[in-house]
Amino acid sequence: MPQEPKPEPTRTITAKAGLPGSPQALEVKPLASDIKPWDLDDLPRFRAMGKARPRVEAPLKVTGRAKYTYDIKLPGMLYGRMVGASVPAAEILEIDTSKAEALPGVKAVWTTDSRVVRFAGQDVAAVAAVSPDVARDAARLVKVRYKERPFTHELRDAIKPGAARVYDMDRMPTPRELPRNGNVAGPRASRSNRGDVEKGFAEAEVVHEASYYCPVHTHVPLETHGVIASWEGDQLTIHSSTQAIFAVREGVAEALGIDRKNVRVLCEHMGGGFGSKLGPSATGSAFSVVACRLAKLAGAPVKLFLDRHQEHLCTGNAPSALMTVKVGAKKDGTITALHYQSWGSAGIAGGAGTAGPAGALHGKNPNLKIEEYDVFTNAGPAAPLRAPGHSQGAFGLESAIDELAEKLGIDPVELRRKNEASPVRLAQYDAGVKAIGWERRNKKAGDMSTGNWGSWSESHKLAAAPDSLRRGGGGGPGGSGAAPSRSGKARGLGMANGNWYVFASENTSAQVRIHRDGSVEVITGCQDIGSGYRTAMMVVAAEELGIEPSDVTLRLGDTQFPEGPGSGGSTTTNSVAPAVRLAASQARAKLVELAAAQLGASAADLDVGGGRIFARSDPAKSIGFKQAAAKMSGESIDCLAKRARQFETFRGDLAGTQFAEVEVDTETGVVRVVKMVSVNDCGLPVNPLTTQSQVLGAMIQGASWALFENRVLDRNVGTMVNPNMEWYKILAPADMFEAESILTPVANLGNNTSTAGIGEPPIVPTLAAVANAVFNATGARIRELPLTPDRVLQALSEARRA
Amino acid sequence: MARRLPPPPDHEGHESPAFSRRSFLRSAGVSAAATTLAGAAEPAAAAPAVLGPGPVPLNLKVNGALRTLSVEPRVTLLEALRNELDLTGCKPVCERGGCGACTVLLDGAPIASCLMLAADASGHEITTVEGIGTPEKMSPLQAAFVEKDAMQCGFCTPGFIVAGTALLARNPHPTLEEVKAGLAGNICRCGTYGRIFEAVHAAAQAKTPSHRS
Repeated sequence: MPQEPKPEPTRTITAKAGLPGSPQALEVKPLASDIKPWDLDDLPRFRAMGKARPRVEAPLKVTGRAKYTYDIKLPGMLYGRMVGASVPAAEILEIDTSKAEALPGVKAVWTTDSRVVRFAGQDVAAVAAVSPDVARDAARLVKVRYKERPFTHELRDAIKPGAARVYDMDRMPTPRELPRNGNVAGPRASRSNRGDVEKGFAEAEVVHEASYYCPVHTHVPLETHGVIASWEGDQLTIHSSTQAIFAVREGVAEALGIDRKNVRVLCEHMGGGFGSKLGPSATGSAFSVVACRLAKLAGAPVKLFLDRHQEHLCTGNAPSALMTVKVGAKKDGTITALHYQSWGSAGIAGGAGTAGPAGALHGKNPNLKIEEYDVFTNAGPAAPLRAPGHSQGAFGLESAIDELAEKLGIDPVELRRKNEASPVRLAQYDAGVKAIGWERRNKKAGDMSTGNWGSWSESHKLAAAPDSLRRGGGGGPGGSGAAPSRSGKARGLGMANGNWYVFASENTSAQVRIHRDGSVEVITGCQDIGSGYRTAMMVVAAEELGIEPSDVTLRLGDTQFPEGPGSGGSTTTNSVAPAVRLAASQARAKLVELAAAQLGASAADLDVGGGRIFARSDPAKSIGFKQAAAKMSGESIDCLAKRARQFETFRGDLAGTQFAEVEVDTETGVVRVVKMVSVNDCGLPVNPLTTQSQVLGAMIQGASWALFENRVLDRNVGTMVNPNMEWYKILAPADMFEAESILTPVANLGNNTSTAGIGEPPIVPTLAAVANAVFNATGARIRELPLTPDRVLQALSEARRA
Repeated sequence: MARRLPPPPDHEGHESPAFSRRSFLRSAGVSAAATTLAGAAEPAAAAPAVLGPGPVPLNLKVNGALRTLSVEPRVTLLEALRNELDLTGCKPVCERGGCGACTVLLDGAPIASCLMLAADASGHEITTVEGIGTPEKMSPLQAAFVEKDAMQCGFCTPGFIVAGTALLARNPHPTLEEVKAGLAGNICRCGTYGRIFEAVHAAAQAKTPSHRS
């Protein structure tokens, strides 16, 4: 019997945790080999940490010199192209590639073994040819004969009795124990469930119940999915546009039946992923494996990128969600029960849950029941999309809480304070209320005379003409530039909360190398998704070594480097930074020993800072970093450290709250976001400039989901109607609003750097905050996204009738 | 902001001395039928002919240098710049003019290089993001993008730089609404618009008013 490995001993450290304004002594138990976490006492001592600085790769990006995977060209390289199924449900009778193979310039052809098509866009065949155009020609020459089957394209149709079945019962990709009915699997109960909701509703004095619907969003990373595969003998090199180079290596090696040691995956810069690039290929395609096979067949490197149409179909999406929320409260706002039911469709995949926010927010509520169902539809499988399921869930939950506040006649912020369990969010409300000017909101929804809009009416007159300028340039509502009538514009404020978690991958290592000339490299495999991660790791190493971040070079995005996590779950900084700091502290100790010999001081008395090593007892006694390094005996000091396990933290969650101001044209139904404020906990920010860029970006992407985005499948043929970037609407410059990010630094003591991720949390509340602001502006509640003019006008007319 | 194609040069007078449309058309072995492709400069000849479908020689003036390449006539300017000349700053993103990531300047005006055939660009001055600055010597707009962190993944950034450069050339001190209009054809998925607007304004302040010339 193998023995359980002995757990590494821990030690107990007391440090100052929490918000700077209210420090709290907390005992943490790091591994004995780990170091004391940065805490509130370190804040004033930081030299590199916490300073706003431009990202280091920026000059390459702004001059077009940053080489993304899509930009790489290898000698003799061929161009691959996937062929996807043109129908949503079918049996494949025949794939005829003879004409494609006969086309001059075609070097390899691949066809699928699968005979069942469950969504339009599913892999059927692929070709590799001497140019992109020849590959396109060849792809068109692949002829597929289908025996078509009935399909179901949309969640609300798929749950109806008699809907076409996506799977036979025993084929459903869902846990065995879940009940199945037609295309529906569930309910799945939540671990957060507590108390007795029936009892809670009996105690309630006011109950609100309604259903909310969120459509499918697609990721639309600007760099589509793709790889360049090249073989040298049995050695396979893959340049991949990926959020997870190690997952690509694992998945491709397994699919091809080759050793991982023979596969190298590289990614230096990548053009967006948002969760869709966490696997070996994509959730709805095996294009990476196909490219490797084509390259093997052709005996030449193959570059295979999906086009925008394919990207929309087979690389994942955010599940649609139908949410029924029932919430009860006492007249004073005390929530007594919440029953949250969700039906989500991840297409042909499961895992369309949305209950994260319902399980985490309004934590004082004693009675909670969550039930989640997966609904299968003939559409591409979903993939994690920036806080998966949480934006949808928060839209349902936080819209319902807003409606409850309206019924109770209580300010929505006060209602949330009353039921708040997080000390961090309690502190955040004040900052958000102040920044948005919450006192301006309409006390009676839809009636601006009950708000405090004095300054707005003047500025509105001035802004009237440019307001008519909509996306695409000119035209649009009021395109003539005529000022719309005063009564045609309504303003309002709304807010919503979001939650996220402190995730980390302990399978993360980093190497710090100090060369004899004093130059420093940090080497760690994890790829850079564009978050500012590269710069952040340089800052962490520089802080520990007492040098400037610009003195550090980061090597990344290579499976030959120490293992790192996939860039998902807001885990990257939180996973890699502690390993970098630990490795840097070990390298620093070795360098300090060298300096001690040169200075005739004791190593224990030496500290680092300003590019020097100095004696604490006599700071004049010092030596330069480079001078000390010059005395090493070999070429370099090399220290490799693994991320130690997560400590007990101040909070295991990340709090956030968001406020929105909107203007609704009540004649055209056009909604414009005027301003948003996001207040977020991100642990100790390493680089506030790039941290805030992520927060602002999340608000903008969330506003885009709220106002514009909707994947539309044709109900007659089951294919996507808007698989491009002009009909799949994304928020563009003309739709832009004023966005403000407020960080609430929290020393969480969860790891030796007290950092946390920020990519996902700020998009969780956005959809609900915008929708709630539209209600405050108009008095019309819209329970289905996106907030397009047709829905707005219909809701307005219903509100008038009511 | 509507993107307009600048008029083609009238006859050969405005073309580079090193390159003429006539020599291009001759070397391509075509005449009348191809003139619509190249800009209606030649009188109709007897036998209609077509360019291609095989590769044809082509001269492009890119970032001030004359480049010779051989591509099929159906190859877009975007593909030619990226695949033949290794100028990969312009990005293929939507490939139907909907996102602005492939924006280059054609005689100073921003165009979507995915919507133009490479052959149609001969005789025009093409400027890509690589021609606007280098990492060592960035333009004021590029430097402002760096300073303001007006990017995340950076895949849209070259398109914004090119569109922003064109905007500042025709309007050195744009208002916020003019900036929004000038960049209206460009999409950023990471959500950096606000910082991009700040960067354009910072660059406008850094420039002298005489920049227009």
